[in-house]
Amino acid sequence: MSNDVVLSVRNLTKIYPGKVSFTALDHVSFDLHEGEILGLLGPNGAGKTTTIQMLLSTLKPTSGEIVYFGKNFFTNRSEILAQVAFASTYIKFPDRLTIRENLDVYGRLYGLTANERKHRMEKFLKFFGVWDQRDKPMSTTSAGQTTRVMLAKAFMAHPRIALLDEPTASLDPDIAHEVRAFVAEQQKEYNVSMLFTSHNMAEVAEVCDRVMFLQNGKIVANDTPDNLARSVSVSKVQLMMGDGMKRTIEYAQQHNLVYTVQERFIELEVDEHKIAELLSGLAKAKVEYTQISIDKPTLEMYFLQVAKEAKERK
Amino acid sequence: MSPKTIYVPKISSTRIWAVVLRHVYLFPKSFDRLTDMIYWPIMDIVLWGFTTRWVQQQGSGTVQNVVLAILTAMVFWQVVWRANYEVSVNLLEELWSANLVNMFATPLKPIEWVLALMTIGFLKMFVSVGVGVGAVWLLYSLNIFSIGWMMIPYVALLMFSGWFIGFLGASLIMLGGTRIQTIAWTMGFLFAPFSAVYYPITVLPNWAQTVARALPTTYVFEGMRSALLNGVFLWEYVVKSLVLGLIYLVLAICLFLWCCEKSREKGYVRLQ
Repeated sequence: MSNDVVLSVRNLTKIYPGKVSFTALDHVSFDLHEGEILGLLGPNGAGKTTTIQMLLSTLKPTSGEIVYFGKNFFTNRSEILAQVAFASTYIKFPDRLTIRENLDVYGRLYGLTANERKHRMEKFLKFFGVWDQRDKPMSTTSAGQTTRVMLAKAFMAHPRIALLDEPTASLDPDIAHEVRAFVAEQQKEYNVSMLFTSHNMAEVAEVCDRVMFLQNGKIVANDTPDNLARSVSVSKVQLMMGDGMKRTIEYAQQHNLVYTVQERFIELEVDEHKIAELLSGLAKAKVEYTQISIDKPTLEMYFLQVAKEAKERK
Repeated sequence: MSPKTIYVPKISSTRIWAVVLRHVYLFPKSFDRLTDMIYWPIMDIVLWGFTTRWVQQQGSGTVQNVVLAILTAMVFWQVVWRANYEVSVNLLEELWSANLVNMFATPLKPIEWVLALMTIGFLKMFVSVGVGVGAVWLLYSLNIFSIGWMMIPYVALLMFSGWFIGFLGASLIMLGGTRIQTIAWTMGFLFAPFSAVYYPITVLPNWAQTVARALPTTYVFEGMRSALLNGVFLWEYVVKSLVLGLIYLVLAICLFLWCCEKSREKGYVRLQ
């Protein structure tokens, strides 16, 4: 394990026994480096939550090894979890307790002193804009406010690692933006390492240094968001047609291009290197268009491509 | 030969207190819990108290202390019930509020959680018993403390029994989740008929007497009746109850911790 690796996972496997046993995670290995934000992506059922639950010890692995800060997790659970925070949109707080009471309980569980609890609670609740609601029961808070309290709980303990399971789901765009800025600040100021799952590909591309793509319990890609996006060669060309919709469709059919038509717009999927050829072909066919936009390959396209390939394999 | 290392888990009183506090914060806000702790014990005492007083008025001599014996049994049963109920319902509270994963994603150890549940049961038992003793004194001018200082070991013995029943129920809930949550309310009553709470063990059929003799609660209730009705304090009953109670409690806690580990194989998330 190199010096800056704070989490090392080796051959982590989870098999649910039954009449037909189900492998949720299949010999997954990866490292998380100090100060790194690692995105965990994949379609529903790919094994993201299973991984996070095992990294928290709330789910027992069938086999494999988890090492935090050079120490075996299974034999040093409590000591390690004092430095590992967790926030998830899908986990709740006792809803009859107030925000302040909940954070007080969790602050104590993480071993914070009375002074630390008081100051950090105020700092984080003010940052997330829920300070005024601190004496209201959790049952009266919105889903977005609950998520922000969950993040306050996670970062109150000043963790070395944060496991964030879809932390921006259910948030309004402006609040989600604030959360991303907060995550970036925690990384920059405190060198916190993070494992980050999200369904928002643009967000993952913005926040994460590296992305690991899970498919059917296996890692199918592990690279930077840019490199993964570049591995998709298909670009999307959108045209707002003036004259020649029929001829454009004929061109797409002749060249086996995938296309979708919506009123005066047509979107064509074309290899990045053949965009010039497409535009030249349309010009020769005397197609007139009033607007053109070309979408470069993105992480989302990569996601869709991998999901499509998996579906075809099935 | 190298010296053997005995593994003793470090237990944090701060974390235990955090879990206790989580339930203390909840208490004044939960009408259900207030009802369980105050309303039902008073209702039991009112109904049974007047019934037994009426029975007493029909007879004489042998039924002189029947009212006090039954009402003391009732308050004593509250100790068992409260200790049992707090363990299993506080576990259910975490499942109902989808907080189990959140809590065990912290450094909290299962054994600390167990100790916290026992502490909560201990604290709330004082409230329930206090309410019960007060109600009996106010309504019937009877002093349950007439049993004297032996009230203390009896209450302690009954608490051990309540905890062991509670952890037995909580073990099953840990495996089956909220779909078998009724265990929290029914498990205690399964032990009541065999514990000779309101009647002597001799009225039970032979097979039931065998079961009764294996329960720590039976010796407390039999001993209490002997002290109140005959003025004879049975030390051997206290010892038997203590030994059985401690053995069962240790076994029940071990079973509960094993069930927590077993439940972790399928994941705590599925319980919520």
